[in-house]
Amino acid sequence: MADNVTNIINEIKDIASGILEKDISTVRGFSERQVEAIAKQTVIIQEGIANGDIDEDLREFFLDGLEAMALNFVNTLKGILMVTLEKLWNALVNFLYKAVGVVV
Amino acid sequence: MQSIKFHFSFIAFFSIALFAGCEATLAPAYDQAIVEKVTESSDLAMRFFAEVDGGTESESFAQREAVYNVLIGAFESLKLQAKARPIPENVALDKINELLQAKGSSAISGEYPSAFAFEKIAETFKKMKQTDRENGIKPLALQAFKGQVEIFLDQAITYESFLKR
Repeated sequence: MADNVTNIINEIKDIASGILEKDISTVRGFSERQVEAIAKQTVIIQEGIANGDIDEDLREFFLDGLEAMALNFVNTLKGILMVTLEKLWNALVNFLYKAVGVVV
Repeated sequence: MQSIKFHFSFIAFFSIALFAGCEATLAPAYDQAIVEKVTESSDLAMRFFAEVDGGTESESFAQREAVYNVLIGAFESLKLQAKARPIPENVALDKINELLQAKGSSAISGEYPSAFAFEKIAETFKKMKQTDRENGIKPLALQAFKGQVEIFLDQAITYESFLKR
């Protein structure tokens, strides 16, 4: 009984770690790229406003753009996490059902 | 305390799993056609930015108008394709939405981040076309247009590629 419980716990940990490690590295890469690109974009807009390349009308457009890209950055992370949760969920449910002898 | 929290999350997860009683679908299906079209359209967009590098003059706008139209059409069509996929619907997703709303977060809906990004890219090219026609585009404004398109493209491509599970 105790051995079985330990085996199940270890299997669950392995399944979860396998999925999470791979997905988290993708999320980390995406986040780093986005944060750097949004920071660069902010500087370009500042410099453009300062030297007159970006007029009042474009200034409003790019500021709205910055807000939209920050919002969608968070929504993209949320979307990615839903996929990870789905993979995790299905892998664990499959394993648990197999463990009790149910075919999903 | 940490252990109690972990056990609570674990029990909550498996209660929902047992309640749902089967595999869950929490995100839309991967669509190879969208990924291929976004790759092709982003290639066209980057080549166009390379051609106009350094800025444009409104006098030569007519030479670029057709490319703007192709790019706007391509990204609007991508937005429609991305939005057209059905929203996953099942007991598990309903439960997660209830939990999200109880925590004050917005529920998971058909507003896919890639569809939003495609819409914003199309809007960016529309604004760029209008600016180019009226006054031409100055160098830093052009860099800002390019940066905006690149950031939304990265969001859309990352999300769409991630759907392949």
